[in-house]
Amino acid sequence: MTNSSLRIAIAEDSAILRDGLVQLLVDRGFTITGAVGDPAALRSSVAQNPPDVAVIDIRMPPTFTDEGLRLALELRARHEGLGILLFSQYIETRYAADLLADDAAGIGYLLKDRVADVSDFVEALERVAVGGTALDPEVVTQLLGATRRTDSLSVLTAREREVLSLMAEGRSNAAIANALVVSEGAVEKHVANIFGKLDLPVSEKDHRRVLAVLRFLES
Amino acid sequence: MTPESSDDSSVRVRIRGREVSLAMTEEQALRMKAIARTVVHEPFTKRVWAELGFFLLGSALAAVGLVFVTFTMGAGLILAITFFGLAVLALSLRSARGIGSLQRGLVRSMLGETVDDPQAFVARPGFLGWLQSCLRDRVAWRAVAYLTLKVPWSVLGAFVAFSLWWDAFALLTAPIFGHNGGGSPVWGLVSAFFPSGYFNGDTGFFRDLVGLVLGAIFFFAAPWVMRGFVNVDRLLVRSLLGPDPMSTRVRSLEQARTQTIDASAATLRRIERDLHDGTQAQLVALAMRLGMAKEKLEDDAEHVDLDRVRELVDAAHRGAKEAIAELRDIARGIHPPALDIGLEGALATLAARSAVPTELSVDLSTRPTPAIEAIAYFCVAELLANVAQHAQASRASVSCAQQGTWLRLVVRDDGTGGAQLSTVGSSSSGLAGLTDRVHAVDGRLNLVSPPGGPTVVTVDLPLAS
Repeated sequence: MTNSSLRIAIAEDSAILRDGLVQLLVDRGFTITGAVGDPAALRSSVAQNPPDVAVIDIRMPPTFTDEGLRLALELRARHEGLGILLFSQYIETRYAADLLADDAAGIGYLLKDRVADVSDFVEALERVAVGGTALDPEVVTQLLGATRRTDSLSVLTAREREVLSLMAEGRSNAAIANALVVSEGAVEKHVANIFGKLDLPVSEKDHRRVLAVLRFLES
Repeated sequence: MTPESSDDSSVRVRIRGREVSLAMTEEQALRMKAIARTVVHEPFTKRVWAELGFFLLGSALAAVGLVFVTFTMGAGLILAITFFGLAVLALSLRSARGIGSLQRGLVRSMLGETVDDPQAFVARPGFLGWLQSCLRDRVAWRAVAYLTLKVPWSVLGAFVAFSLWWDAFALLTAPIFGHNGGGSPVWGLVSAFFPSGYFNGDTGFFRDLVGLVLGAIFFFAAPWVMRGFVNVDRLLVRSLLGPDPMSTRVRSLEQARTQTIDASAATLRRIERDLHDGTQAQLVALAMRLGMAKEKLEDDAEHVDLDRVRELVDAAHRGAKEAIAELRDIARGIHPPALDIGLEGALATLAARSAVPTELSVDLSTRPTPAIEAIAYFCVAELLANVAQHAQASRASVSCAQQGTWLRLVVRDDGTGGAQLSTVGSSSSGLAGLTDRVHAVDGRLNLVSPPGGPTVVTVDLPLAS
């Protein structure tokens, strides 16, 4: 692995999970710039020793509600280019909407359970670090379930819907091809079909593509 | 009282050089003096004028109100066959409510007595709903009852009180104007009891004297009589224009229900928090370690770092056991299985498990309801945990005794004291959380913990909630 250049800060109030994350990331060759248990500590850690990505638990002291989300928005406004991976026990679509309000670049929102699949988790982290997007499949499922655009979606084939979901998670064409065990060329064709059928603006960047799909689902 | 002591404490008055001893002690004399001063001052106090003002204004308002309400209600009833009549009746009741609140305002501003507002008028949706709500408005009907009672009472009060004043005026001024006071109402009543011509004799001086004395009595008595009438009115206002007892009861029951719902919501939230911070985090960490181990095993067979894998599996195994223990604790937090055998047995288990040697005494003849047993159990568990964590105590004692319909828990330790009912942190933790639980069933929690100890926490719970 060539992760030695990636620097990660962690804010997670559960000591067990924090230690586990540190262990996992160090094991994978990441550099940990700070592992703390509350928002204030992360704020100063990021200021003193800027990481590439901050992994932030949404529920943290003092009120255990959405401290992590607010901290994430604040850090993004203050440190340009800082990747944020929000980490939560539950998925709240509202939080995703807040987080992706104007930009999906360098943003991730994952269920904590995802660390069990270490490779997927590390891949998501790396994606966020380089300005990509990593949305939990659960977020995408919820958005698909809640969308009022079912008429438009019904024109998609089953495979196209799969591709749409993976696109919404923030995966690249190569990753989608890998996940569906098809060629990248086939994925490109599906993507072109989807954008054509849904009348979406075509975009080269993966994170712009995510935003376009999300806007479509939310509208 | 012996003559000697009476000499010491009796009040002596010097009249024309002679010392006369009044048959009363100093204290009695002071009291008499105070009463006399009150009586003499009363007709000139602000309060009397306020009461007089209230009496006049209130009676006038009530009379107008009663006439209006009677008229509109009568009209409404006559027209009741038509829909219009019902509307008139409803409007009449709405105005009765308004007059009631005016009276309440009068009592508040002139007599300085605050009568709580009755429950606000809530109309159901739609015109028919409004009509129905108006016709069934208890507050309005009670205001009508008030007006009906108040008006005759005011007439009587006005007659009696004003006659007294008028008589006093007439009698006191009789010698000056030389007229006969007999024309005024009360005086006329009084003189009727005496043989005809009793006061009409030749002894003008005697007649004037009696008249003056009576006039003075009337003058000083009038404020008190009026106050009596006003006080009865006050009572009427409080009982008929205030919130009615049934609605108050309903409201307090609603409040209790809200509290209970809040308490159970808080409990659910605490359980969720415990699961979230404890077990779920444990399981995530466990899955993570197993995931790491699995990836290591997927490497080339020769390169597998078996020691590292063993380490990870070891940690995962430990984590699994911790998660099981935590789940057990959380389940116990929802309903302690120990309570199945009764509070005494459960407390014995707690005392035996406590880190600080704990003495237990239980004296219960009635078994509390399950809810109270659970609260008592959690109180003792939390308090003993506090003792073990903070008190640096060498001994603790728990007593659980029945006092009438109450259960009294006393947890005592010989530690360093200084415990506080802090509200820092989440309200569902520690002593503050306990207080919430105890209050939810109308119980009390009292903490005495001077610096240096000992700490005594007393919890009173109703046996049945």
